[in-house]
Amino acid sequence: MHRAARLNVSGVLINAAALVLVLSYALPYIYLLMTSIKPAADVQQIPPSFFPAVVSFENFREVLRSSTLPRAFVNSLTVAVLTTALSLSVAVTAAYVATQYRRRVTTIFLLFALVTRMVPSVALGVPLFQLLKSLGLLDTIPGLVLAHTSAAVPLALLLMSAFFEGVPKELEEAARMDGCTRFQAFRKIILPVMTGGMAVTALFTFITSWNEFLYALLLTSEATKTAPIVIAEYNSVYGLAWGAMTAAAVLYSLPVIIVTLALQKQIVGGLTFGAVKG
Amino acid sequence: MSGEDRFVFCMLAPAAAILGLLVAYPVGLLVFDSFFKVDTITPHIREWVGLQNYFDALTSKRVVESALRTVQYSVFALFFEFTFGFCAALLFSALAGQSRWHRTIFALPLMVPPIVAGLLWRFLLVGNIGILNYGLVRLGLISDPEAIAWLSSEDIVIYSVSFADIWLTTSFVALVSYAGLTNIPKDLLEAARIDGANALKRFWHVTLPLMRPVIAVVVIVRGVDAAKTFDLIWIQTQGGPSHASEVFSMNIYQRMVRFGDLGEASASGTLFLIVMMILAAFSYWKIWRPVHA
Repeated sequence: MHRAARLNVSGVLINAAALVLVLSYALPYIYLLMTSIKPAADVQQIPPSFFPAVVSFENFREVLRSSTLPRAFVNSLTVAVLTTALSLSVAVTAAYVATQYRRRVTTIFLLFALVTRMVPSVALGVPLFQLLKSLGLLDTIPGLVLAHTSAAVPLALLLMSAFFEGVPKELEEAARMDGCTRFQAFRKIILPVMTGGMAVTALFTFITSWNEFLYALLLTSEATKTAPIVIAEYNSVYGLAWGAMTAAAVLYSLPVIIVTLALQKQIVGGLTFGAVKG
Repeated sequence: MSGEDRFVFCMLAPAAAILGLLVAYPVGLLVFDSFFKVDTITPHIREWVGLQNYFDALTSKRVVESALRTVQYSVFALFFEFTFGFCAALLFSALAGQSRWHRTIFALPLMVPPIVAGLLWRFLLVGNIGILNYGLVRLGLISDPEAIAWLSSEDIVIYSVSFADIWLTTSFVALVSYAGLTNIPKDLLEAARIDGANALKRFWHVTLPLMRPVIAVVVIVRGVDAAKTFDLIWIQTQGGPSHASEVFSMNIYQRMVRFGDLGEASASGTLFLIVMMILAAFSYWKIWRPVHA
């Protein structure tokens, strides 16, 4: 009886602590949401208030009416989709042979991908700038896609290798027995069972490109600015336009957060796993 | 070449070509450029200077300071991310099955773009309208909302800019640690309890040693990430005030873009790369290999 009561008290304490922790953790983002729906004039009032006195979508109307942000969203989306398609298509085949046809060259290859993840983007950004300049691809969509692909391929390789580890070698052998070539076995038998892993990997490469800032800052100037660059500029170009900036930040981050919530289990698994490996 | 070898080659070739063109070749170019005096503003000057760029970088006060600041930033951010993240994981595992929603909310910042996290924290900390100081006044911790100039005081700015990093990645530490904690066999803890070990002793002698590999992974992965940080700090201060929050990656960017000094930027980039490779090799020997051996 006494013991049960004590357990209960500590249970309540743990619950309360967890609740406080989680709430204080969510608070900054909630404040961002609250600020974005304040009238522009109220955003910079002194002292600041947490909740809006009046709800207004003025900030959202302003950023969507401007010519720069909608175009930047289109650029970001185009670059992210193309990066995902390119990286996934080369990484899936390579990860397949790297895990199912182990030999020295594939081990070195995976190790190279792992090491690449440690390269600071600024160190790669300096020569990438030169390379794209000599190819005439500065400030173009294909140029930025190539830059993002350099970061996305190693990530996709490591994630896909982890997923292929779970595929038994017998699956391919059975298909070969039935008269498939190696490539047919891969395309018709292996790929269809890998759709889940490919979807998670695709989402990760997409988010990597969607969130990327430094390459976009270095390699684009006018025509192909992506969303994070334009959002960052709200502070310099338009003075301190906090209202517009919070609205743009919400538009930029909320879709990804909603997708995260919907696919939470797979994403958290992939993220912790990919991080542990990479 | 056997049919099998040819198949492996064909499947590997596209990814190898991309990594070769977009990673290996640029890295080669970076090292090559580091031995020249190259100026992006007048691009025809290209003069072999040997190790002069390295010498200049290592003797420049601003470069060395930015490198030390990177260590300062990484250690500070890592310490708090780890402390908060590990405590959160312990709480979640104490809640066991009831912690699903807690973990869901806690995982959200993982998907917040770094640029948004940086702007958000700048908005929380900025002078006059930063709500954090008003909150501290309300709690009675400071007397005046202007008492702490988070982002404009040269002494503390390098720590203030890491708040966004801590907020953004504590959940990563928490989720990885939680996964590690759930893998600890229950009977081990139960046996220790029967042997009379109290909660603190069970944590110190059972949980902590078993978590060692997970802790090592987290520290290295996050340490490397923190050392590479650019966007989070750039968006908050652009390295200011008077370079007080300029980390190494930002210093390289500045020399490349503002001053067009490609040679020296390349030398610093090469040095950065070498340090990261040493960290990578360390993590490979210590962590990755034992798991796969």
